[in-house]
Amino acid sequence: MNLGIRAVLYTVRKWKKTLLVFALLLAIMILVLSGLAIADAQEEQSAELRGTTGVSFTVSRNTATGGWGSGNGGSYSTQEYLTPDMMEQIASVDGIKAYNASIRTILCLSNTKGQWLEQLEPTGHALVDCQFYSYGCFNSEYHSLFLSGALVLCDGKAVDMSDDNEIVISKEIADKHGLKVGDTIQAVNTPLSDDQTMELEIVGVFEVVADKTDERNNFNEASYYDYANNAFVSEAAMKGLLENYADVGYASADFFVSDPEQLEVIIHQVQSINSINWNNFLVTANDEVYERVSNSISDTSTLITTLVIITTVISMVLIILILSISIRSRKHEIGILLATGIGKTVILLQYVLEIFLVAIAAFPLAYLSSRQVARALGTLFGKTVENVIVTPHHFILVSVVGTVLLVMAVLLSCIPIIRFSPKNILSQME
Amino acid sequence: MSLWKRACLYSMRKRGKTITLFMFLLIMATLMLICLSIRSAAEIANANIKKALLGYFTVNAKQLDSGITEDMLGQILAIDGLSGKYTLRSYSYANYFDAERNPLEINTGSVTQIPEKYANAGKLVANSNTESDSYFIDAGFELTEGIAITSEQKNVVLLHEKFAERNGLSVGDRMFLGDVSDKSRAISVQVAGLFTNTKEQEAMEITPMYDLYDNIVFTDPATASYLLYGTEGETSVQYGDFYVNDPDNLEQVMAQVQEIKGVEWDECILTRYAKDYQNAKTSLAGLQNIVFIAIAIVSIISFLVLVLFLTLRLRGRIHETGIYLAMGVSKCTVLMQYLAEVFLVAAVALLMSYGTSAAISNQIGSTLLSQVTTDTYETTDLTGVTETIKETLIDLGLSEIKVSVSGKDYLAIWLFGMALCLGSTALAAYPIMKMKPKNTLSQMS
Repeated sequence: MNLGIRAVLYTVRKWKKTLLVFALLLAIMILVLSGLAIADAQEEQSAELRGTTGVSFTVSRNTATGGWGSGNGGSYSTQEYLTPDMMEQIASVDGIKAYNASIRTILCLSNTKGQWLEQLEPTGHALVDCQFYSYGCFNSEYHSLFLSGALVLCDGKAVDMSDDNEIVISKEIADKHGLKVGDTIQAVNTPLSDDQTMELEIVGVFEVVADKTDERNNFNEASYYDYANNAFVSEAAMKGLLENYADVGYASADFFVSDPEQLEVIIHQVQSINSINWNNFLVTANDEVYERVSNSISDTSTLITTLVIITTVISMVLIILILSISIRSRKHEIGILLATGIGKTVILLQYVLEIFLVAIAAFPLAYLSSRQVARALGTLFGKTVENVIVTPHHFILVSVVGTVLLVMAVLLSCIPIIRFSPKNILSQME
Repeated sequence: MSLWKRACLYSMRKRGKTITLFMFLLIMATLMLICLSIRSAAEIANANIKKALLGYFTVNAKQLDSGITEDMLGQILAIDGLSGKYTLRSYSYANYFDAERNPLEINTGSVTQIPEKYANAGKLVANSNTESDSYFIDAGFELTEGIAITSEQKNVVLLHEKFAERNGLSVGDRMFLGDVSDKSRAISVQVAGLFTNTKEQEAMEITPMYDLYDNIVFTDPATASYLLYGTEGETSVQYGDFYVNDPDNLEQVMAQVQEIKGVEWDECILTRYAKDYQNAKTSLAGLQNIVFIAIAIVSIISFLVLVLFLTLRLRGRIHETGIYLAMGVSKCTVLMQYLAEVFLVAAVALLMSYGTSAAISNQIGSTLLSQVTTDTYETTDLTGVTETIKETLIDLGLSEIKVSVSGKDYLAIWLFGMALCLGSTALAAYPIMKMKPKNTLSQMS
């Protein structure tokens, strides 16, 4: 009888046993495949978590290496400012997702009829009450007041790098003057001067969350204005509003990176940009939040990875154990086959073939079902796990390693039996 | 022959089989125990992440006549869920005098009109840890000499180096702070350190001169408390920042704070700060779900494998069962014998699994994890020319992650393991027991 036929016949005749081995192989395969998918998902999720810590670096002018001038406001630095060109060059380095720089000024706001808009708590002097502490921003979403959570955009969008003349004002001021997103207001830097008055579209409205009366925030000029009397103007509009003030520039800019682990590499790349004289600028990393949590995040990753590795190793041992048990119970059979003159290699091949018959069914089924396992478990316990995905790559890896293991297991468990003569084996009967 | 004797004899005679079963049970029990210890360790790591994201709330009690008193502080700190880390702050203005009570000279900037009573006054900032004050964190102040002020120190000040230079003061010198109202309180303090500003002050033209960087003095909360409230031996403050363990509980803790009796909470402003946690919340939950799924898959499949394995093992003994039954041994006794065999091996395996899993867990804990409870982080200041790295030691009060097998988990594995052996052996034996000896023996392998 051909060994192929013998293998099929045995498998079919002992269908209950075959089914058990099949179920075991299937379970172990699902375990290993899910483990690999979990390890990958964990890596992705950790990277995402690291990304939420908002790591950035600040490029600011180095007042220590620049000259000093003096005016009626005291001494001031004559160090060069950051230009939009420089910022664009820096932002083009890989891994930088956004950047922001701002110029501060005090703008007088009016409605389209030219009537001054009053501050939240007016003092009674028309030309003081229309003053709003304003930031000309590249991207107000990344302005520190929004990042720190002091202000929250509640309607519309942030001002960005579009060429439009845009402004974002507080909800209190919008409500006080019956303004809403889409309306137009006017702004001027210094009223009754050569400064041009520009029409700005309200693109967004923010709410004040922070406690402005907390004196912790009173460390700079902005502290003399209520948060509600702040405004954010697009860079394009600010350029027009400040066209008469050549000496105003960007003292610093913040660049936000996607992966905190890359921060140092990115900073080094930035500092190798030759067209910028780095003697005039300082680079500071802002990664306190990341530094605080990174150890705990990597601990979690390590724990999951360790669990997956331990499970995989144990699964390998289990497969070998199970196969050796099922083959050892066939000692008697081996003796008979040897006695009938069947070659040792042929017997080995038959057993390998039998296990392959089971594996051919178990492996693809494990692949298909493991794709569902994580999701099914997730929904069962009300957890969402979208990114645990078993990829064909995982399947190929596990199939190849699995096949090698199976062959090894059959050889390892058969060799001690086959070494003996049929007489010895048969006399050892159960 | 008693069933126990038979069970022992079988286990010894079939040494190979017994060892395989033992190995199998040992491996599975170890895997499950490691799984459980990793789960508890992952929970601690998760709590550490939440804690390190620093959710806190601020009590602004500036409007209260007595501020936050020590009694009120004690009651707040007694609330569950606070991490124990907190900052106390007060802000005021003070007149500066030297040790002989002669007024000290301040920077008057470009201001021509000096307000009455403020000719020698400046802003007084009291903080229980001046290093974390917004002037040092956000406005770029740096200590150049001496040490920062913490709540342990009393009657100390930090001066701007320009102010110190102008008045010939240095670290260790004494001076007086006097309040700017009419209460004519004065307190003797010692200079603990000097600071400087690394950024220019914006809009110096409109800044009142007492707010100029040169004229700011930092002190400890007790000193400010005397000037503000006239307290002696007790410290009251205007503001308190209280950090919580789990930012998810922030609202709840704040609600509990407002239930403290004897405080006019309507006059206080409570603000929550948990922006970092809000940003990370979704991703963190995602990571936790992955941990959960990993543990769930490993446990469930281990369970399945164990049942299947025990079933497979018993099927090899159909013939033996037939002979026992034909000999007149009762079905119950046969089943008990099989159970006894499994239990014998399982007991040894479970005992040993404690050792193996503890050893592996220990390895994970000591070699793989960061194990830092005092988190060090670097502030990197990279300039084009030189690279200076200064290290700040911040104690976040994180819990040490212990990957260890707890007694509860071990007990659970014993109960679970024994129940599993009983269940699967009974289940596997059932179809064999159902048959008559004749049928069983005719089914020979």
